[in-house]
Amino acid sequence: MLALIQIEWLKIKKYPAFWWMLGIVALTYPGINAMTYYGYLKATTGKEVTNNIAKMLLGNPFAFPETWHSVAYFSSFFILLPSIVVIMLVTNEYTFRTHRQNIIDGWSRNQFITSKLFDVLIVAIVATLVYVVVAGGFGIYADSSVLYQWSSQLQYIPLFLLQTFAQLSIAFLLGYLVKKAFIALGIFLFYYLIVENIAVAYARFKMNDIGRFLPFEISDRLLPSPAFFSRFGKDAKASYDHALAIVPEHIAYTIVLTAGIWLICYAVHKRRDL
Amino acid sequence: MQTVLSLNTIAKAYGPIKALKGVSFDVPEGCVFGLLGPNGSGKTTLLSIILDILKADTGSFSWFGQPGSPATRKQIGSLLETPNFYQYLSAVDNLNITQAISGRGNAAEIDRVLEIVKLTERKKSKFSAYSLGMKQRLAIAAALLGDPQVLVFDEPTNGLDPVGIAEIRELIKELAQRGKTIIMASHLLDEVEKVCTHVAILKRGTLLTAGAVDEVLSNEDIVEVSSNDIHSLLAHLAEFPNYTHIKQEANKVQIFFPVGTAKMEDINRFCFEKGIVLNLLLVKKKSLETKFFELTND
Repeated sequence: MLALIQIEWLKIKKYPAFWWMLGIVALTYPGINAMTYYGYLKATTGKEVTNNIAKMLLGNPFAFPETWHSVAYFSSFFILLPSIVVIMLVTNEYTFRTHRQNIIDGWSRNQFITSKLFDVLIVAIVATLVYVVVAGGFGIYADSSVLYQWSSQLQYIPLFLLQTFAQLSIAFLLGYLVKKAFIALGIFLFYYLIVENIAVAYARFKMNDIGRFLPFEISDRLLPSPAFFSRFGKDAKASYDHALAIVPEHIAYTIVLTAGIWLICYAVHKRRDL
Repeated sequence: MQTVLSLNTIAKAYGPIKALKGVSFDVPEGCVFGLLGPNGSGKTTLLSIILDILKADTGSFSWFGQPGSPATRKQIGSLLETPNFYQYLSAVDNLNITQAISGRGNAAEIDRVLEIVKLTERKKSKFSAYSLGMKQRLAIAAALLGDPQVLVFDEPTNGLDPVGIAEIRELIKELAQRGKTIIMASHLLDEVEKVCTHVAILKRGTLLTAGAVDEVLSNEDIVEVSSNDIHSLLAHLAEFPNYTHIKQEANKVQIFFPVGTAKMEDINRFCFEKGIVLNLLLVKKKSLETKFFELTND
Protein backbone atom coordinates (compact mmCIF):
# COMPACT_ATOMS: atom_id res chain seq x y z
CA MET A 1 0.00 0.00 0.00
CA LEU A 2 2.67 2.46 1.06
CA ALA A 3 4.72 1.52 -2.00
CA LEU A 4 1.75 2.35 -4.25
CA ILE A 5 1.36 5.76 -2.62
CA GLN A 6 5.07 6.44 -2.98
CA ILE A 7 4.97 5.56 -6.68
CA GLU A 8 1.90 7.75 -7.26
CA TRP A 9 3.67 10.56 -5.45
CA LEU A 10 6.61 10.16 -7.88
CA LYS A 11 4.11 10.71 -10.69
CA ILE A 12 2.24 13.60 -9.06
CA LYS A 13 4.96 15.64 -7.40
CA LYS A 14 6.43 16.84 -10.68
CA TYR A 15 3.13 17.18 -12.49
CA PRO A 16 2.64 20.92 -13.09
CA ALA A 17 -1.18 20.70 -13.33
CA PHE A 18 -1.32 19.35 -9.79
CA TRP A 19 0.49 22.39 -8.38
CA TRP A 20 -1.56 24.74 -10.54
CA MET A 21 -4.69 23.15 -9.14
CA LEU A 22 -3.40 23.48 -5.60
CA GLY A 23 -2.50 27.11 -6.23
CA ILE A 24 -5.90 27.93 -7.71
CA VAL A 25 -7.74 26.07 -4.94
CA ALA A 26 -5.63 27.92 -2.39
CA LEU A 27 -6.80 31.18 -3.96
CA THR A 28 -10.40 30.21 -4.71
CA TYR A 29 -11.43 28.81 -1.33
CA PRO A 30 -10.44 31.94 0.60
CA GLY A 31 -11.65 34.08 -2.32
CA ILE A 32 -15.25 32.88 -2.45
CA ASN A 33 -15.52 32.89 1.33
CA ALA A 34 -14.02 36.36 1.56
CA MET A 35 -16.58 37.61 -0.95
CA THR A 36 -19.40 36.15 1.13
CA TYR A 37 -17.85 37.46 4.30
CA TYR A 38 -17.61 41.01 2.99
CA GLY A 39 -21.17 40.76 1.78
CA TYR A 40 -22.08 39.82 5.32
CA LEU A 41 -20.04 42.69 6.79
CA LYS A 42 -21.68 45.15 4.42
CA ALA A 43 -25.12 44.01 5.44
CA THR A 44 -24.44 44.03 9.16
CA THR A 45 -22.20 47.02 9.84
CA GLY A 46 -23.83 50.38 10.09
CA LYS A 47 -26.27 52.02 12.36
CA GLU A 48 -29.39 51.49 10.34
CA VAL A 49 -32.10 49.34 11.80
CA THR A 50 -31.83 46.96 8.85
CA ASN A 51 -28.18 46.38 9.63
CA ASN A 52 -28.98 45.32 13.11
CA ILE A 53 -31.82 43.11 11.94
CA ALA A 54 -29.48 41.50 9.44
CA LYS A 55 -26.89 40.91 12.15
CA MET A 56 -29.50 39.38 14.40
CA LEU A 57 -30.80 37.12 11.63
CA LEU A 58 -27.50 35.98 10.26
CA GLY A 59 -25.38 35.64 13.34
CA ASN A 60 -21.80 35.50 12.18
CA PRO A 61 -21.52 32.58 9.73
CA PHE A 62 -17.74 32.88 9.68
CA ALA A 63 -17.16 32.79 13.42
CA PHE A 64 -16.50 29.54 15.27
CA PRO A 65 -18.10 27.08 15.12
CA GLU A 66 -20.35 28.04 12.19
CA THR A 67 -17.29 28.72 9.99
CA TRP A 68 -16.67 24.99 9.59
CA HIS A 69 -20.10 24.68 8.02
CA SER A 70 -20.18 27.90 5.98
CA VAL A 71 -16.70 27.58 4.51
CA ALA A 72 -17.31 23.91 3.64
CA TYR A 73 -20.52 24.86 1.88
CA PHE A 74 -19.10 27.72 -0.19
CA SER A 75 -15.81 25.96 -0.97
CA SER A 76 -17.59 22.85 -2.17
CA PHE A 77 -18.90 24.81 -5.19
CA PHE A 78 -15.39 24.53 -6.59
CA ILE A 79 -15.06 20.76 -6.86
CA LEU A 80 -14.48 21.47 -10.53
CA LEU A 81 -10.86 22.45 -9.98
CA PRO A 82 -9.62 19.26 -8.32
CA SER A 83 -11.87 17.29 -10.71
CA ILE A 84 -9.83 18.56 -13.64
CA VAL A 85 -6.65 17.25 -12.03
CA VAL A 86 -8.23 13.88 -11.26
CA ILE A 87 -9.42 13.53 -14.86
CA MET A 88 -5.98 14.52 -16.13
CA LEU A 89 -4.23 12.07 -13.81
CA VAL A 90 -6.19 9.14 -15.20
CA THR A 91 -6.38 10.18 -18.86
CA ASN A 92 -2.63 10.92 -18.83
CA GLU A 93 -2.04 7.25 -18.21
CA TYR A 94 -3.90 6.46 -21.43
CA THR A 95 -2.27 9.27 -23.41
CA PHE A 96 1.24 8.23 -22.36
CA ARG A 97 0.21 4.54 -22.50
CA THR A 98 1.76 4.17 -19.08
CA HIS A 99 -1.38 2.31 -17.96
CA ARG A 100 0.11 -0.54 -20.01
CA GLN A 101 3.69 0.03 -18.93
CA ASN A 102 2.80 -0.07 -15.22
CA ILE A 103 1.32 -3.54 -15.75
CA ILE A 104 4.21 -4.69 -17.95
CA ASP A 105 6.64 -3.56 -15.25
CA GLY A 106 4.92 -5.73 -12.68
CA TRP A 107 1.78 -4.20 -11.21
CA SER A 108 -1.37 -6.26 -11.08
CA ARG A 109 -4.45 -4.70 -12.65
CA ASN A 110 -5.95 -4.27 -9.18
CA GLN A 111 -2.85 -2.44 -8.02
CA PHE A 112 -3.25 0.00 -10.88
CA ILE A 113 -6.79 0.91 -9.82
CA THR A 114 -5.75 1.06 -6.18
CA SER A 115 -2.97 3.46 -7.11
CA LYS A 116 -5.52 5.68 -8.85
CA LEU A 117 -7.81 5.48 -5.82
CA PHE A 118 -4.89 6.87 -3.81
CA ASP A 119 -4.49 9.66 -6.38
CA VAL A 120 -8.09 10.69 -5.85
CA LEU A 121 -7.67 10.39 -2.10
CA ILE A 122 -4.51 12.51 -2.17
CA VAL A 123 -6.27 15.26 -4.16
CA ALA A 124 -9.32 15.10 -1.84
CA ILE A 125 -7.11 15.35 1.25
CA VAL A 126 -5.17 18.28 -0.19
CA ALA A 127 -8.45 20.13 -0.94
CA THR A 128 -9.70 19.32 2.57
CA LEU A 129 -6.50 20.65 4.14
CA VAL A 130 -6.92 23.91 2.25
CA TYR A 131 -10.54 24.06 3.46
CA VAL A 132 -9.49 23.44 7.09
CA VAL A 133 -6.88 26.20 6.95
CA VAL A 134 -9.34 28.65 5.34
CA ALA A 135 -12.22 27.82 7.71
CA GLY A 136 -9.91 28.01 10.73
CA GLY A 137 -8.47 31.28 9.50
CA PHE A 138 -11.91 32.84 9.09
CA GLY A 139 -12.94 31.55 12.49
CA ILE A 140 -10.01 33.25 14.17
CA TYR A 141 -10.33 36.44 12.14
CA ALA A 142 -14.12 36.91 12.18
CA ASP A 143 -14.79 36.88 15.89
CA SER A 144 -12.04 36.15 18.36
CA SER A 145 -14.44 36.31 21.29
CA VAL A 146 -15.89 32.89 20.44
CA LEU A 147 -12.63 31.03 19.83
CA TYR A 148 -13.49 28.63 22.64
CA GLN A 149 -16.24 27.18 20.42
CA TRP A 150 -13.75 26.08 17.77
CA SER A 151 -14.20 22.37 18.39
CA SER A 152 -17.93 22.03 17.91
CA GLN A 153 -19.15 21.26 14.37
CA LEU A 154 -15.81 19.67 13.49
CA GLN A 155 -17.89 16.96 11.81
CA TYR A 156 -17.87 19.23 8.74
CA ILE A 157 -14.23 18.31 8.14
CA PRO A 158 -14.89 14.58 7.50
CA LEU A 159 -18.12 15.52 5.67
CA PHE A 160 -16.20 17.86 3.37
CA LEU A 161 -13.59 15.14 2.77
CA LEU A 162 -16.25 12.54 2.03
CA GLN A 163 -18.11 14.84 -0.34
CA THR A 164 -14.91 15.82 -2.14
CA PHE A 165 -13.74 12.22 -2.44
CA ALA A 166 -17.17 11.07 -3.64
CA GLN A 167 -17.47 13.76 -6.30
CA LEU A 168 -13.87 13.31 -7.44
CA SER A 169 -14.58 9.59 -7.74
CA ILE A 170 -17.33 10.40 -10.25
CA ALA A 171 -14.84 12.54 -12.18
CA PHE A 172 -12.38 9.63 -12.05
CA LEU A 173 -14.95 7.17 -13.36
CA LEU A 174 -15.66 9.47 -16.29
CA GLY A 175 -11.98 9.88 -17.12
CA TYR A 176 -11.38 6.16 -16.66
CA LEU A 177 -14.19 5.10 -18.99
CA VAL A 178 -13.95 7.87 -21.59
CA LYS A 179 -10.11 7.83 -21.75
CA LYS A 180 -9.90 11.18 -23.56
CA ALA A 181 -9.25 14.16 -21.29
CA PHE A 182 -11.20 16.79 -23.17
CA ILE A 183 -14.24 14.65 -23.84
CA ALA A 184 -14.34 13.55 -20.20
CA LEU A 185 -13.97 17.16 -19.02
CA GLY A 186 -16.68 18.30 -21.43
CA ILE A 187 -19.13 15.67 -20.23
CA PHE A 188 -18.23 16.42 -16.62
CA LEU A 189 -18.78 20.17 -16.96
CA PHE A 190 -21.99 19.83 -18.92
CA TYR A 191 -23.47 17.31 -16.51
CA TYR A 192 -22.22 18.87 -13.28
CA LEU A 193 -22.97 22.47 -14.08
CA ILE A 194 -26.10 22.18 -16.19
CA VAL A 195 -27.89 18.85 -16.41
CA GLU A 196 -27.91 17.87 -12.78
CA ASN A 197 -28.70 21.34 -11.47
CA ILE A 198 -31.74 21.59 -13.72
CA ALA A 199 -32.84 18.04 -12.90
CA VAL A 200 -32.49 18.59 -9.15
CA ALA A 201 -34.34 21.91 -9.24
CA TYR A 202 -37.12 20.42 -11.34
CA ALA A 203 -37.43 17.34 -9.15
CA ARG A 204 -37.52 19.45 -6.00
CA PHE A 205 -40.79 21.06 -7.06
CA LYS A 206 -42.38 18.49 -9.30
CA MET A 207 -41.16 15.05 -8.34
CA ASN A 208 -40.98 14.85 -4.58
CA ASP A 209 -37.29 15.74 -4.57
CA ILE A 210 -36.06 12.49 -6.07
CA GLY A 211 -33.27 14.57 -7.61
CA ARG A 212 -31.41 14.07 -4.36
CA PHE A 213 -30.47 10.61 -5.62
CA LEU A 214 -28.58 11.96 -8.62
CA PRO A 215 -24.83 11.25 -8.47
CA PHE A 216 -23.55 14.65 -7.33
CA GLU A 217 -26.65 15.62 -5.38
CA ILE A 218 -26.33 12.53 -3.19
CA SER A 219 -23.15 13.94 -1.70
CA ASP A 220 -24.13 17.62 -2.12
CA ARG A 221 -26.65 16.99 0.62
CA LEU A 222 -23.84 16.23 3.07
CA LEU A 223 -23.22 19.96 3.33
CA PRO A 224 -26.60 21.75 3.56
CA SER A 225 -26.81 25.53 3.18
CA PRO A 226 -25.39 27.29 6.24
CA ALA A 227 -27.60 27.86 9.24
CA PHE A 228 -28.36 31.53 8.53
CA PHE A 229 -30.43 30.49 5.52
CA SER A 230 -32.85 28.98 8.03
CA ARG A 231 -33.56 32.31 9.66
CA PHE A 232 -35.80 33.70 6.97
CA GLY A 233 -39.14 32.37 8.07
CA LYS A 234 -40.82 29.21 9.17
CA ASP A 235 -40.49 27.35 5.85
CA ALA A 236 -36.78 28.03 5.68
CA LYS A 237 -36.35 26.72 9.22
CA ALA A 238 -38.29 23.57 8.40
CA SER A 239 -36.34 22.90 5.26
CA TYR A 240 -33.02 23.52 7.06
CA ASP A 241 -33.99 21.07 9.79
CA HIS A 242 -34.99 18.56 7.15
CA ALA A 243 -31.67 19.05 5.31
CA LEU A 244 -29.79 18.39 8.53
CA ALA A 245 -31.94 15.38 9.35
CA ILE A 246 -31.23 13.61 6.08
CA VAL A 247 -27.44 14.06 6.30
CA PRO A 248 -26.89 10.67 8.00
CA GLU A 249 -28.80 8.79 5.34
CA HIS A 250 -26.93 10.69 2.63
CA ILE A 251 -23.66 9.67 4.25
CA ALA A 252 -24.76 6.07 3.71
CA TYR A 253 -25.88 6.72 0.10
CA THR A 254 -22.61 8.50 -0.66
CA ILE A 255 -20.53 5.66 0.69
CA VAL A 256 -22.55 3.10 -1.27
CA LEU A 257 -22.34 5.10 -4.51
CA THR A 258 -18.62 5.73 -4.14
CA ALA A 259 -17.91 2.11 -3.28
CA GLY A 260 -19.95 1.13 -6.33
CA ILE A 261 -17.92 3.43 -8.57
CA TRP A 262 -14.64 1.91 -7.43
CA LEU A 263 -15.98 -1.63 -7.68
CA ILE A 264 -16.96 -0.92 -11.28
CA CYS A 265 -13.44 0.35 -11.99
CA TYR A 266 -11.85 -2.75 -10.44
CA ALA A 267 -14.20 -5.09 -12.29
CA VAL A 268 -13.76 -3.38 -15.68
CA HIS A 269 -10.00 -3.16 -15.32
CA LYS A 270 -9.70 -6.80 -14.44
CA ARG A 271 -11.32 -7.83 -17.71
CA ARG A 272 -10.58 -5.25 -20.31
CA ASP A 273 -7.76 -5.18 -22.84
CA LEU A 274 -5.34 -2.38 -22.11
CA MET B 1 17.66 -26.76 -21.44
CA GLN B 2 14.81 -25.24 -19.48
CA THR B 3 11.83 -23.60 -21.11
CA VAL B 4 11.48 -19.91 -20.27
CA LEU B 5 8.18 -19.30 -22.02
CA SER B 6 5.63 -21.81 -23.18
CA LEU B 7 2.59 -20.91 -25.29
CA ASN B 8 -0.31 -23.28 -25.56
CA THR B 9 -2.91 -22.72 -28.33
CA ILE B 10 -3.26 -19.00 -27.73
CA ALA B 11 -6.17 -17.48 -29.67
CA LYS B 12 -7.37 -13.90 -29.76
CA ALA B 13 -10.00 -12.14 -31.85
CA TYR B 14 -10.84 -8.46 -32.20
CA GLY B 15 -14.48 -8.66 -33.17
CA PRO B 16 -14.59 -10.51 -36.50
CA ILE B 17 -10.82 -10.32 -36.99
CA LYS B 18 -8.94 -13.35 -35.73
CA ALA B 19 -5.59 -11.95 -34.68
CA LEU B 20 -4.18 -15.23 -33.35
CA LYS B 21 -5.44 -18.68 -34.23
CA GLY B 22 -4.18 -21.16 -31.68
CA VAL B 23 -0.47 -20.40 -31.52
CA SER B 24 1.82 -22.76 -29.56
CA PHE B 25 5.59 -22.78 -29.19
CA ASP B 26 8.30 -22.88 -26.54
CA VAL B 27 11.16 -20.50 -25.95
CA PRO B 28 14.21 -22.29 -24.53
CA GLU B 29 16.44 -20.64 -21.96
CA GLY B 30 19.39 -18.66 -23.27
CA CYS B 31 18.20 -18.27 -26.84
CA VAL B 32 17.56 -15.19 -28.93
CA PHE B 33 14.08 -15.88 -30.18
CA GLY B 34 12.92 -13.91 -33.22
CA LEU B 35 9.20 -13.49 -33.76
CA LEU B 36 8.65 -12.68 -37.42
CA GLY B 37 5.72 -11.87 -39.58
CA PRO B 38 4.33 -9.25 -41.91
CA ASN B 39 2.43 -6.24 -40.56
CA GLY B 40 -0.76 -7.37 -38.90
CA SER B 41 0.39 -10.96 -38.45
CA GLY B 42 -0.21 -10.88 -34.69
CA LYS B 43 3.30 -10.38 -33.28
CA THR B 44 2.47 -7.50 -30.98
CA THR B 45 -0.83 -9.10 -29.98
CA LEU B 46 1.10 -12.20 -28.96
CA LEU B 47 3.64 -10.22 -26.93
CA SER B 48 0.83 -8.19 -25.34
CA ILE B 49 -0.86 -11.37 -24.20
CA ILE B 50 2.24 -12.80 -22.57
CA LEU B 51 2.70 -9.47 -20.76
CA ASP B 52 -0.94 -9.39 -19.57
CA ILE B 53 -1.88 -6.29 -21.53
CA LEU B 54 -4.38 -8.25 -23.59
CA LYS B 55 -6.48 -11.19 -22.47
CA ALA B 56 -6.31 -14.29 -24.66
CA ASP B 57 -9.71 -15.67 -25.68
CA THR B 58 -8.48 -19.23 -25.27
CA GLY B 59 -5.21 -20.98 -24.56
CA SER B 60 -2.63 -20.38 -21.88
CA PHE B 61 0.99 -19.47 -21.38
CA SER B 62 3.54 -19.94 -18.66
CA TRP B 63 6.73 -18.14 -17.70
CA PHE B 64 9.37 -20.27 -15.96
CA GLY B 65 6.78 -23.03 -15.65
CA GLN B 66 4.27 -20.82 -13.81
CA PRO B 67 1.18 -19.01 -15.06
CA GLY B 68 1.87 -15.35 -15.93
CA SER B 69 1.55 -13.04 -12.92
CA PRO B 70 2.90 -9.72 -11.63
CA ALA B 71 5.72 -11.67 -9.99
CA THR B 72 6.81 -13.24 -13.29
CA ARG B 73 6.51 -9.90 -15.14
CA LYS B 74 8.84 -8.26 -12.61
CA GLN B 75 11.58 -10.64 -13.74
CA ILE B 76 11.24 -9.64 -17.39
CA GLY B 77 12.56 -6.48 -19.00
CA SER B 78 10.08 -5.48 -21.69
CA LEU B 79 9.71 -2.99 -24.47
CA LEU B 80 6.28 -3.33 -26.05
CA GLU B 81 5.35 -1.46 -29.22
CA THR B 82 6.14 2.14 -28.19
CA PRO B 83 8.21 3.77 -25.44
CA ASN B 84 5.63 4.49 -22.72
CA PHE B 85 6.76 7.14 -20.26
CA TYR B 86 5.45 10.17 -18.37
CA GLN B 87 6.04 13.09 -20.74
CA TYR B 88 6.62 15.67 -18.01
CA LEU B 89 9.23 13.60 -16.16
CA SER B 90 12.93 13.24 -16.90
CA ALA B 91 14.61 9.98 -17.92
CA VAL B 92 15.81 9.42 -14.36
CA ASP B 93 12.39 10.14 -12.82
CA ASN B 94 10.73 7.80 -15.30
CA LEU B 95 13.23 5.05 -14.53
CA ASN B 96 12.66 5.65 -10.82
CA ILE B 97 9.02 4.70 -11.43
CA THR B 98 10.03 1.63 -13.46
CA GLN B 99 12.40 0.68 -10.65
CA ALA B 100 9.80 1.21 -7.94
CA ILE B 101 7.15 -0.86 -9.72
CA SER B 102 9.37 -3.71 -10.89
CA GLY B 103 11.76 -3.81 -7.95
CA ARG B 104 14.57 -4.20 -10.50
CA GLY B 105 17.72 -2.12 -10.01
CA ASN B 106 18.60 0.90 -7.86
CA ALA B 107 19.94 4.44 -8.35
CA ALA B 108 23.38 3.25 -9.48
CA GLU B 109 21.74 0.77 -11.84
CA ILE B 110 19.69 3.59 -13.40
CA ASP B 111 22.92 5.43 -14.20
CA ARG B 112 24.42 2.23 -15.62
CA VAL B 113 21.56 1.55 -18.05
CA LEU B 114 21.42 5.20 -19.14
CA GLU B 115 25.13 4.95 -19.91
CA ILE B 116 24.57 1.80 -21.99
CA VAL B 117 21.99 3.55 -24.18
CA LYS B 118 24.06 6.76 -24.25
CA LEU B 119 21.52 9.01 -22.55
CA THR B 120 23.68 10.04 -19.58
CA GLU B 121 24.09 13.60 -20.81
CA ARG B 122 20.36 14.04 -21.29
CA LYS B 123 19.22 12.10 -18.25
CA LYS B 124 17.64 15.15 -16.63
CA SER B 125 15.79 16.32 -19.74
CA LYS B 126 12.07 15.81 -19.89
CA PHE B 127 10.89 12.82 -21.88
CA SER B 128 8.73 15.12 -24.04
CA ALA B 129 11.90 16.87 -25.26
CA TYR B 130 13.44 13.62 -26.52
CA SER B 131 13.74 12.65 -30.19
CA LEU B 132 12.08 9.45 -31.38
CA GLY B 133 15.39 7.59 -31.23
CA MET B 134 16.14 8.82 -27.72
CA LYS B 135 12.70 7.72 -26.54
CA GLN B 136 13.39 4.28 -27.95
CA ARG B 137 16.76 4.19 -26.19
CA LEU B 138 15.13 5.07 -22.89
CA ALA B 139 12.65 2.24 -23.37
CA ILE B 140 15.56 -0.14 -23.92
CA ALA B 141 17.25 1.24 -20.80
CA ALA B 142 14.07 0.58 -18.81
CA ALA B 143 14.03 -3.01 -20.05
CA LEU B 144 17.69 -3.48 -19.09
CA LEU B 145 17.14 -2.14 -15.57
CA GLY B 146 18.28 -4.63 -12.95
CA ASP B 147 19.91 -6.89 -15.57
CA PRO B 148 16.92 -9.26 -15.93
CA GLN B 149 17.43 -12.80 -17.19
CA VAL B 150 14.67 -12.47 -19.78
CA LEU B 151 14.06 -9.58 -22.17
CA VAL B 152 11.13 -8.96 -24.49
CA PHE B 153 11.77 -6.49 -27.30
CA ASP B 154 9.08 -5.47 -29.74
CA GLU B 155 10.76 -3.82 -32.75
CA PRO B 156 13.73 -2.65 -30.66
CA THR B 157 15.38 -0.66 -33.44
CA ASN B 158 12.29 1.40 -34.31
CA GLY B 159 13.23 5.01 -34.89
CA LEU B 160 16.96 4.47 -34.45
CA ASP B 161 19.59 5.73 -36.87
CA PRO B 162 21.96 3.23 -38.56
CA VAL B 163 24.56 3.64 -35.82
CA GLY B 164 21.87 3.14 -33.19
CA ILE B 165 20.64 0.00 -34.98
CA ALA B 166 24.16 -1.44 -35.03
CA GLU B 167 24.61 -0.59 -31.34
CA ILE B 168 21.41 -2.34 -30.36
CA ARG B 169 22.40 -5.36 -32.44
CA GLU B 170 25.72 -5.53 -30.59
CA LEU B 171 23.92 -5.06 -27.29
CA ILE B 172 21.60 -7.96 -28.05
CA LYS B 173 24.54 -10.16 -29.03
CA GLU B 174 26.34 -9.23 -25.84
CA LEU B 175 23.26 -9.97 -23.73
CA ALA B 176 22.89 -13.32 -25.48
CA GLN B 177 26.51 -14.15 -24.75
CA ARG B 178 25.85 -13.52 -21.09
CA GLY B 179 23.14 -16.16 -21.22
CA LYS B 180 20.08 -13.90 -21.31
CA THR B 181 16.96 -15.10 -23.03
CA ILE B 182 15.73 -12.55 -25.55
CA ILE B 183 12.37 -12.63 -27.28
CA MET B 184 12.33 -10.17 -30.11
CA ALA B 185 9.64 -9.24 -32.63
CA SER B 186 10.82 -7.63 -35.80
CA HIS B 187 10.15 -7.36 -39.48
CA LEU B 188 13.74 -6.48 -40.23
CA LEU B 189 14.78 -9.95 -41.35
CA ASP B 190 18.37 -9.07 -41.90
CA GLU B 191 18.58 -7.94 -38.31
CA VAL B 192 16.93 -11.05 -36.97
CA GLU B 193 19.17 -13.29 -39.04
CA LYS B 194 22.21 -11.57 -37.60
CA VAL B 195 21.30 -12.09 -33.95
CA CYS B 196 18.64 -14.77 -33.52
CA THR B 197 19.23 -18.41 -32.66
CA HIS B 198 15.55 -19.34 -32.94
CA VAL B 199 12.64 -18.01 -34.98
CA ALA B 200 8.89 -18.30 -35.17
CA ILE B 201 7.09 -17.03 -38.25
CA LEU B 202 3.51 -15.82 -37.99
CA LYS B 203 1.12 -15.01 -40.76
CA ARG B 204 -2.40 -13.69 -40.19
CA GLY B 205 -2.44 -15.19 -36.73
CA THR B 206 -1.21 -18.63 -37.73
CA LEU B 207 2.18 -19.99 -36.74
CA LEU B 208 3.89 -21.14 -39.94
CA THR B 209 7.07 -22.49 -38.41
CA ALA B 210 9.09 -22.29 -35.20
CA GLY B 211 12.45 -23.64 -34.13
CA ALA B 212 16.21 -23.15 -34.30
CA VAL B 213 17.24 -20.86 -37.16
CA ASP B 214 19.33 -23.58 -38.83
CA GLU B 215 16.43 -26.03 -38.76
CA VAL B 216 13.90 -23.54 -40.04
CA LEU B 217 16.11 -22.33 -42.87
CA SER B 218 17.75 -25.53 -44.07
CA ASN B 219 14.93 -27.82 -45.05
CA GLU B 220 16.90 -28.37 -48.27
CA ASP B 221 20.44 -28.11 -49.61
CA ILE B 222 21.00 -25.67 -52.44
CA VAL B 223 24.07 -26.09 -54.66
CA GLU B 224 24.97 -23.33 -57.05
CA VAL B 225 27.04 -24.20 -60.13
CA SER B 226 28.11 -22.43 -63.29
CA SER B 227 30.19 -23.02 -66.41
CA ASN B 228 30.93 -21.30 -69.71
CA ASP B 229 28.17 -23.18 -71.52
CA ILE B 230 25.17 -22.79 -69.23
CA HIS B 231 22.73 -24.58 -71.57
CA SER B 232 24.81 -27.70 -71.85
CA LEU B 233 25.31 -27.65 -68.07
CA LEU B 234 21.59 -27.44 -67.49
CA ALA B 235 20.87 -30.26 -69.96
CA HIS B 236 23.41 -32.63 -68.40
CA LEU B 237 22.47 -31.86 -64.80
CA ALA B 238 18.97 -33.06 -65.57
CA GLU B 239 20.44 -36.58 -65.54
CA PHE B 240 22.02 -36.16 -62.09
CA PRO B 241 20.34 -38.44 -59.51
CA ASN B 242 18.41 -37.53 -56.33
CA TYR B 243 17.82 -33.82 -56.72
CA THR B 244 14.37 -32.36 -56.08
CA HIS B 245 14.43 -29.61 -58.66
CA ILE B 246 16.71 -27.43 -60.77
CA LYS B 247 16.46 -23.73 -61.43
CA GLN B 248 18.41 -21.47 -63.79
CA GLU B 249 19.21 -18.06 -62.44
CA ALA B 250 21.02 -15.73 -64.89
CA ASN B 251 24.28 -17.50 -65.69
CA LYS B 252 24.06 -19.86 -62.70
CA VAL B 253 22.18 -23.07 -62.04
CA GLN B 254 20.71 -23.93 -58.65
CA ILE B 255 20.19 -27.61 -57.80
CA PHE B 256 17.99 -28.42 -54.80
CA PHE B 257 18.46 -31.59 -52.72
CA PRO B 258 16.71 -33.02 -49.66
CA VAL B 259 18.50 -31.74 -46.57
CA GLY B 260 21.93 -33.36 -46.00
CA THR B 261 22.10 -35.20 -49.34
CA ALA B 262 24.06 -32.75 -51.55
CA LYS B 263 27.53 -34.19 -52.30
CA MET B 264 29.78 -31.60 -53.90
CA GLU B 265 32.43 -34.12 -55.04
CA ASP B 266 29.78 -36.15 -56.87
CA ILE B 267 28.49 -33.12 -58.72
CA ASN B 268 31.98 -31.98 -59.64
CA ARG B 269 32.95 -35.49 -60.87
CA PHE B 270 29.65 -35.88 -62.77
CA CYS B 271 30.10 -32.63 -64.66
CA PHE B 272 33.75 -33.27 -65.44
CA GLU B 273 32.93 -36.73 -66.80
CA LYS B 274 30.36 -35.08 -69.07
CA GLY B 275 33.09 -32.78 -70.35
CA ILE B 276 31.91 -29.70 -68.46
CA VAL B 277 34.38 -27.67 -66.41
CA LEU B 278 32.72 -25.80 -63.58
CA ASN B 279 33.80 -22.27 -62.76
CA LEU B 280 31.51 -22.07 -59.72
CA LEU B 281 30.52 -24.69 -57.16
CA LEU B 282 29.16 -23.75 -53.79
CA VAL B 283 26.56 -24.71 -51.20
CA LYS B 284 24.18 -21.85 -50.69
CA LYS B 285 22.43 -21.21 -47.43
CA LYS B 286 18.92 -20.01 -47.88
CA SER B 287 18.54 -16.49 -46.51
CA LEU B 288 15.89 -15.85 -43.91
CA GLU B 289 14.38 -13.38 -46.32
CA THR B 290 13.94 -16.03 -49.01
CA LYS B 291 12.45 -18.41 -46.51
CA PHE B 292 10.18 -15.73 -45.14
CA PHE B 293 8.76 -14.82 -48.55
CA GLU B 294 8.43 -18.47 -49.44
CA LEU B 295 6.34 -19.06 -46.31
CA THR B 296 4.33 -15.89 -46.18
CA ASN B 297 3.53 -15.40 -49.87
CA ASP B 298 0.23 -16.80 -50.96
